[in-house]
Amino acid sequence: MSSGSAVATHAHNDEFNPFLSMQKGFDTAADHLGLEQGVRKVLSMPDRELTVNVPVLMDNGTVEVFTGHRVQHNTLRGPSKGGIRFSPDVDIDEVRALAAWMTWKCSVVNVPFGGGKGGVICDPRSMSIGEQERLTRRYTTAILDIIGPDRDVPAPDMNTNEQTMAWIMDTYSMHERKTSTAVVTGKPLSIGGSRGRREATGRGVMISANEALKMIGLRPEDTRVVVQGAGNVGGLGAMLLHREGYRITSISDMYGYIVNERGLDMPAVLNHLREKRTLEGFDGADYSTDGKAQLELDCELLVPAATENQITTENVDRIKARLIVEGANGPTTAAASEALSKRGVTVVPDILANAGGVTVSYFEWVQDRMGYFWTEEIVNSRLEQIMVQAFAEVRQTSEKFGVDLRTGAYILSIDRVASVYRMRGIFS
Amino acid sequence: MAPEHDVELHEGGFPSTPQLDEETPFRTMMANFDEAARRIGLDEQEYKILRKSDREIAVSVPVQMDDGSIQLFDGYRIQHNAGLGPFHGPLRVDGNLKLTELRALAAWMTWKCALLGIPFGGAAGGIVADRSKLSHTELERAVRRWTANLIGTIGPDRDVLTPEFADDADLMAWALDTLAGHTDGAANSAVTGKPLEMGGSANQEDAVARGLHVILRLASAHFGLGPVGGLSVVIQGAGVVGGNLARILHEEGHKVVGLSDVHIALHDPNGLDVPELLKHRFAHGRLPDEATGTATVVTEEEFLRLPCDVLAPCAISMAVHSRNAEFIQARMILEGAHGPVSPRADKILIRREIPVVPDILANGGGAVLAYFEWIQNRTGYAWMEEVVAARLRRYMREAWDGVREIQDEFDCTLRAATHIMAVRRVSEAESARGVYA
Repeated sequence: MSSGSAVATHAHNDEFNPFLSMQKGFDTAADHLGLEQGVRKVLSMPDRELTVNVPVLMDNGTVEVFTGHRVQHNTLRGPSKGGIRFSPDVDIDEVRALAAWMTWKCSVVNVPFGGGKGGVICDPRSMSIGEQERLTRRYTTAILDIIGPDRDVPAPDMNTNEQTMAWIMDTYSMHERKTSTAVVTGKPLSIGGSRGRREATGRGVMISANEALKMIGLRPEDTRVVVQGAGNVGGLGAMLLHREGYRITSISDMYGYIVNERGLDMPAVLNHLREKRTLEGFDGADYSTDGKAQLELDCELLVPAATENQITTENVDRIKARLIVEGANGPTTAAASEALSKRGVTVVPDILANAGGVTVSYFEWVQDRMGYFWTEEIVNSRLEQIMVQAFAEVRQTSEKFGVDLRTGAYILSIDRVASVYRMRGIFS
Repeated sequence: MAPEHDVELHEGGFPSTPQLDEETPFRTMMANFDEAARRIGLDEQEYKILRKSDREIAVSVPVQMDDGSIQLFDGYRIQHNAGLGPFHGPLRVDGNLKLTELRALAAWMTWKCALLGIPFGGAAGGIVADRSKLSHTELERAVRRWTANLIGTIGPDRDVLTPEFADDADLMAWALDTLAGHTDGAANSAVTGKPLEMGGSANQEDAVARGLHVILRLASAHFGLGPVGGLSVVIQGAGVVGGNLARILHEEGHKVVGLSDVHIALHDPNGLDVPELLKHRFAHGRLPDEATGTATVVTEEEFLRLPCDVLAPCAISMAVHSRNAEFIQARMILEGAHGPVSPRADKILIRREIPVVPDILANGGGAVLAYFEWIQNRTGYAWMEEVVAARLRRYMREAWDGVREIQDEFDCTLRAATHIMAVRRVSEAESARGVYA
């Protein structure tokens, strides 16, 4: 990963750096807004960065020291919010960029959080569960002073999960000598997790698709959908779209994809995937391992819900979809995004389309703070309310400024943060 | 009492409601949950944690008596397990209080909260003092001093007090006032069961009865007892639990064919005039001394054996025991009191295929309301009566549904299912959180 602060101003030609794409989004939006230099400067740098070196007693009796970061990009709109990842590739620049990204994402859907991100440089695949637990607990202790329900609220990210969050909650609670569930989100249900969280991002994708369809005048039953990715976002998203009446014609996992023009029976697909751990061999669909070709299939709606840099200048001209809903983070490069925009393809950008996850994280935090837990129906209906509202606001902003939805989303989110900044003023 | 428990312990099979055995209440109570843990195949090392209290605190409670002398009482707070959330449990003032009894009560609270989906662990506190020998002001000083000695231990996210008896609201008010005087900010949510004026919840006075009503509807539908509104019900006890249950059922059009208190047991196959009886009880503190209209006076034993759809013992423990269980003519028993069916009677009823809806589930409405009070105090927002009622229905229904699922999974009694569900929930939280070091 090449370096670059969240909002670097120098030119860069690396199309495949998603953070540069994000910065480009920021710069374009800031130009449209006529954002004053001072505010630009403030928002281009994280409020606070903490680097910790964490000793862990390994199973073989030796001591390893792991380096971890926690970056709080901005806390103007509320406590910072963002994941903690465990990966050998973690570097501070990436963590900074992801923290900024969270600021914009939380702002787009108008949940009262700023952006944060954390990471520990380690390879969890080579560590035992016990080592991972000790690492998590010691890292939590090391960042204890800057996290908390009203300070900074971590969440799961790459290679961390609800178990990791449970350890963080337990460690924090033991240090505070009281139950403190609201310090992290993405916890198991038994200790303050929220119902509806697992499918939240997929549900947000579904709601975004519904809204986008109304905008361009399509009906679900006339919409063929190609979904890249079959996990919590792609798989569950496709399932929910299927239930809404969309025709899912193709879905992929990391090995290949299946396709059936007449539409896939999504419950059967997910059952097959659960049992066989591959899409190959699914009855009533053709299988191919040429993942790249999948994106170019004829369809109305394309949902890239796997990973970054999937739609690039290399393949953008062959994309046939009229509508793209970005389930993954950064699946479309900045250059490709521009090309799509010129061709009149509607793209619902990642910071809006996949914000269902952070929205339900917000719900988890709200429920933990009050100690009352909502039914799944209430979680889902409140998620819908927030996503529909955010979509409408992004759309209005885009129309007002005459820009695409991506730029509209950035304008909306930056303007929100900047206006809070002006109201609060500079504390000194 | 003890022999019955021994039978229960060694035969395994269907565990029964814990009875607070005078000698070893903790052991006998935990035996049921040991059995549940075994059935779900819980790791033995993991379950060991749940067999002991997390923390036991002993405090001295010196009290200046009204005559100026000083008396010293022993005080305790037992915190059983905080896996699911802050500790939560009653304060018992009793001259015969035993530590082992408090341990049982604290653990019982852990299981009860887990079963009902309440994010609390169990606790129990006590002051070893004979209430009948204390003046009101002496009792107040004892409660205040006990509370003061536990400052830092009790708190909204640490350990939440709740009254043991319906009319203990003044104890809670003193405890809260003491906490508030010693801590910064509002300690409101550290104490539940407060008077309404001090942040108590709407509906708390008849919460147990409302909860029983919800469970009665679900259970009678499940067991096919007949249409809603057409049941004949015998209710032992006419107080906060039994009296309110009688009122609610009568209002819904059921026939309350039996109602009793410690003085008298009344029977009318056509249905008693419940409003009139409760009016009398409210005015005089007891049911009328004689029957009117078509009602008759029956003995307590005849009373329990009356033919009916539902028998709801809401007064004392062990009301249904091995000597009368054979003769019960109810089609279902709904346990409103704590442990109203003895373990041996439980076995007889199983053989006779009379379903028993166990206390830990059926009378959980009070615990749910205490939880709701805590939420309302945390958010500073008081819910309307209808909101409280609807949310109580939700919690009771979710607990019932969960227990029913487990009953089918394990092919066991409702009672055993409640124990399994509670142990499973606590152990899930425990294993997610792991062992802090």
